[in-house]
Amino acid sequence: MAMTVSSAGGLLAMLNENHPTLKLHALTNLNAFVDYFWPEISTSVPIIESLYEDEEFDQRQLAALLVSKVFYYLGELNDSLSYALGAGPLFDVSEDSDYVHTLLAKAIDEYASLKTKAAESNKAADIDPRLEAIVERMLDKCILDGRYQQAIGMAIECRRLDKLEEAITKSDNVHATLSYCSNVSHLFVNRREYRHEVLGLLVDVFKKLPSPDYLSICQCLMFLDEPVGVAGILEKLIRSEKEDDALLAFQIAFDLIENEHQAFLLNVRDRLTQPKYLPAEPVQPVSTETESAQDANAATTEDVQMADGTQAVSEAVPASVPVVDPKEATYAERLTKLKGILSGETSIQLTLQFLYSHNKSDLLILKTIKQSVEMRNSVCHSATIYANAIMHAGTTVDTFLRENLDWLSRATNWAKFSATAGLGVIHRGHLQQGRSLMAPYLPQSGSGGGSPYSEGGALYALGLIHANHGEGIKQFLRQSLSSTNVEVIQHGACLGLGLAALGTADEDVFDDIKNVLYTDSAVAGEAAGISMGLLMVGTASEKATEMLAYAHETQHEKIIRGLALGIALTVYGREEGADTLIEQMTRDQDPIIRYGGMYALALAYSGTANNKAIRQLLHFAVSDVSDDVRRTAVLALGFVLYSEPEQTPRIVSLLSESYNPHVRYGAALAVGISCAGTGMSEAISLLEPLTSDVVDFVRQGALIAMAMVMVQISEASDSRVGAFRRQLEKIILDKHEDTMSKMGAILASGILDAGGRNVTIKLLSKTRHDKITAVVGLAVFSQFWYWYPLIYFISLAFSPTALIGLNYELKVPRFEFLSQAKPSLFEYPRPTTVATTTSAVKLPTAVLSTSVKAKARASKKEADQKEKAEKSSATESTSGKGKSSGDKDEDSMQVDSPVEKKAEPEPSFEILINPARVVPAQEKFIKFLEDSRYIPVKSAASGFVLLKDLRPSEPEFLSLIDAPSSTASTGGASATAQQGSAASMAVDEEPQPPQAFEYTS
Amino acid sequence: MDPKLSEVSQLCELFKAALVRNDFDKCATLLSQLKVLLTAFRSLPPLFEATPSAIHELTVARDIYEHAVILSVKTEDQDAFERDFFQLKPYYTDAGDRLPQSQQEFPILGLNLLRLLVQNRIAEFHTELELLSASALENPCINHAVELEQSFMEGAYNRVLTARQKVPHETYVYFMDLLAKTVRDEIAGCSEKAYDSLSINDARQMLMFSSDQELSGYINEEHPEWEIKNGHVIFQKAKESAPCKEIPSLQLITQTLSYARELERIV
Repeated sequence: MAMTVSSAGGLLAMLNENHPTLKLHALTNLNAFVDYFWPEISTSVPIIESLYEDEEFDQRQLAALLVSKVFYYLGELNDSLSYALGAGPLFDVSEDSDYVHTLLAKAIDEYASLKTKAAESNKAADIDPRLEAIVERMLDKCILDGRYQQAIGMAIECRRLDKLEEAITKSDNVHATLSYCSNVSHLFVNRREYRHEVLGLLVDVFKKLPSPDYLSICQCLMFLDEPVGVAGILEKLIRSEKEDDALLAFQIAFDLIENEHQAFLLNVRDRLTQPKYLPAEPVQPVSTETESAQDANAATTEDVQMADGTQAVSEAVPASVPVVDPKEATYAERLTKLKGILSGETSIQLTLQFLYSHNKSDLLILKTIKQSVEMRNSVCHSATIYANAIMHAGTTVDTFLRENLDWLSRATNWAKFSATAGLGVIHRGHLQQGRSLMAPYLPQSGSGGGSPYSEGGALYALGLIHANHGEGIKQFLRQSLSSTNVEVIQHGACLGLGLAALGTADEDVFDDIKNVLYTDSAVAGEAAGISMGLLMVGTASEKATEMLAYAHETQHEKIIRGLALGIALTVYGREEGADTLIEQMTRDQDPIIRYGGMYALALAYSGTANNKAIRQLLHFAVSDVSDDVRRTAVLALGFVLYSEPEQTPRIVSLLSESYNPHVRYGAALAVGISCAGTGMSEAISLLEPLTSDVVDFVRQGALIAMAMVMVQISEASDSRVGAFRRQLEKIILDKHEDTMSKMGAILASGILDAGGRNVTIKLLSKTRHDKITAVVGLAVFSQFWYWYPLIYFISLAFSPTALIGLNYELKVPRFEFLSQAKPSLFEYPRPTTVATTTSAVKLPTAVLSTSVKAKARASKKEADQKEKAEKSSATESTSGKGKSSGDKDEDSMQVDSPVEKKAEPEPSFEILINPARVVPAQEKFIKFLEDSRYIPVKSAASGFVLLKDLRPSEPEFLSLIDAPSSTASTGGASATAQQGSAASMAVDEEPQPPQAFEYTS
Repeated sequence: MDPKLSEVSQLCELFKAALVRNDFDKCATLLSQLKVLLTAFRSLPPLFEATPSAIHELTVARDIYEHAVILSVKTEDQDAFERDFFQLKPYYTDAGDRLPQSQQEFPILGLNLLRLLVQNRIAEFHTELELLSASALENPCINHAVELEQSFMEGAYNRVLTARQKVPHETYVYFMDLLAKTVRDEIAGCSEKAYDSLSINDARQMLMFSSDQELSGYINEEHPEWEIKNGHVIFQKAKESAPCKEIPSLQLITQTLSYARELERIV
């Protein structure tokens, strides 16, 4: 039996001996036994400490190590660390013990906090060199052991960019490490400046690689706001001989577009060098087109030309360049495409086509709403119009409005304003025809006949159509703004201009709007305030101070509110940079300015989940005297937390039980905003009780929030979606329900089926960058509490849930891919049936819908063939196109089949055909077929994906060739009503803009 | 035989011889050398490695430390006693079952108990006592210390003082003398509490001094706060303990109210 000592008393006694050898012997042994005897040793710590402090004693470091260990066991980590530092080399970083692990963590924490403090106060770090040595030893060890992720994490935390670079370059898979690193820097680096430093470093490392990952570099550069770098890379890629490089360039452009940073994109575009022999065709056909088109007719003819979209442009280019160097010609051609993408036109057009062709909105829902809403109740009436607009956002389908012109005409004054503006939402992204579509309602120069409300609404609509892509329309809106004195028109024009020129910080536009502001008219001033903010989004310019000064000056609450929001918008994403302004606003006497301060907090820290911001907001949510401020403070939490939606329900859960209805309302919307489109179970559980709250406006908020959370979630994945739909129907049909909650229910039905059931609300792009437009859209949307027309801003947050594959020509080829999940999990909700009538009526409806569909299909096919016939003379790909139309029928059959064949066991996968609806939850099930003709340039499961053609010699079949606005097909029953126009549409490929309808009031 | 061990054994003999001669300086140097030499043996505590000559080494080492303790008593050095005793202790507690029992074990343990009693470290005294087996308690050396402690606790100081006459071991005398002083301190402490003043005569008797000079010397040295006035020793009463702290009621009330207000605001 091995003997052990039962007490350290003997060794401790030996410490008191005079002979140093004895002391050393005692220390060495104590150090070995400290794990067992630390309680006994702890009483003698002073003796050991004195040994450490004894300069004469040559084993001071051993004493320090021993004391450090004892302090570690006593839980005094600070003392322990300082003695461990004294132990010098005896403190072994690689030892695998709790003591070493704990102390290392402590040391790194300490070092990181010192470094951060030093960096924040801009002073040279006063750091114990011994501490630094330990951290460096640790970092080196991690790198040596191949634990690069640890090393990266520590290096970032400790602000050791040199070590970070070392870790990245030494890792065995530099690409993976880099992407890990950029991810980490977005998720965990809270300070903006420092994040920029890290990203800057990443870009440098990226560039040094033999085969750089341009996709990631460009993402980083975008964050750093360096358009020059991006432009350089893009140019290099499209100058390359290889087609693959060009594809990559296009893919990069699409990825950049997704972040919706208009000013940045414009900058990139302008920095691409022109080809040496500039083709005669101007590069931006749209803008010239809109500028030149002064009357509607001219516009129409131009539109026909434009119908071919990029094709026309790309065809035009080679036509004019036979004389130039072929290299330059390819470059010019690619450049045109690239610019098309960067300006957003390509993506918008494709999205529009997708939304139009896949539109699955259910008119019956709207019909039910329309019928159940009381005639005289104008709030619900407008709500129905809003719901319709949202439901059809971006689909260009305005059948419902056309069918109910009489009913629509009941909208007067501001309701008329929003009815007209609703068209803008429906036609969102219809850049080419937007102007001509709205032409009948726009203010006519000379004849002052139109109602100012519809004119103002039309200007607002133009803004919505061109939101964030307003290059072409800006000029027109400015003219309209300056040529009117009617405040309603000014209101619409301001909003429109703000939307169109979102984030461009255009001085001239700003001055125009400022002039409107200084007229001190309440209605126009409010819009002007918001518009100024939209214009200056994220610039944090001096203008904010100017705006704040005017907000103090004016008497109109509406103007103050508009300005307050505007100021908040200017600090978007500035994080700490906005603190001074936020401080100023949140300490203001005026509750409306404080209210703006809440928004400033929300937007400056949007998506950062910054603890400081959350703390501040929670403080205001419980302590401010004004209900408005409290409500907004809670709501603002939603913006701060949208990057980590899992947290929001937990944080606001207590607030959602507050006695104050405003706070409950804010909590509901906060959840709605941050968890939008996630269908998160906790969020739904939190909102559920609020939808039957005692206070009407809380119900309203909860219903809207619930719809935002549940958008595009199918009943199969969460049964509560179905229950919610039924609840909405019940509220709408209930005669005794309060108007407020009824309005909420109507809007909720609109949001739930938004964009023809093909869009979701997304505040983060796939690369987890925030989408400015979407965030700004939701921020202004949440103002609808005061001003209903702002509801339309929600359409900015919609992003299509689609996977659209593109070939080199930026066309959509037909190809198949797999969704490895049950089709029912992500299918569209079934169309509603008329539940209130007897079943006898039900049956025919069901039959009717299919037959009508079939009929529509037949007529469309006919039309297609006709058009093919026409085309065949012009183009040579007759066979291909003919087949494609045949394919299309198969396609629609496939879409129908799962619904029809109920009895069969459900397959566990689904073949999708490009372009396809892929809801966010479905993305992880998407697989590309291995033997497919096309392979994606980067593996992404949604959005725009460029495809590499492996068999370029074979003919391609294109899908999505039907351009929008042939209203006939989707309208179902309406087909007959539109027969005339439909027929004429079928003849020429691009239809004329739909006829205008007039209000009869 | 291991040369190192034989060296230690030789030195040990020298040391013991010097001890018998009461040549303390020689002892101290030898002892210091021995201790350093002992650190080289891996069979000794705390490592207890099972080397072939472990038993022998342990026995020698124990012997050395036992004599070191006796030396410290002879030199009347309490610190050294404590130091050496603690170094010796593992040989009794941890190695006890492998070595033949030492003759010196109980006297030394008893001495240690006595030392604790002298230093008035009663808690440690009892801890040590608990560690001893029941049979050990019957050993006269231990028993002596236990009885002393009991008398001491009861306040039967005369019994403590008379116990000096019947010490079980000659080394105990030194501590018994010291114990008398401890007893005097105890008495002084009690009188201070019990009386406001005492006549010098009574005080002298009580504190067991044979002359007034001794008494005043003691007072000057140990209790300078006492006063000798008019043939009386005046005990300066320990300063009146500060009056009970008042409860800060007003502050508590405002605090509680503000908590209530905050709570109201949160939900």
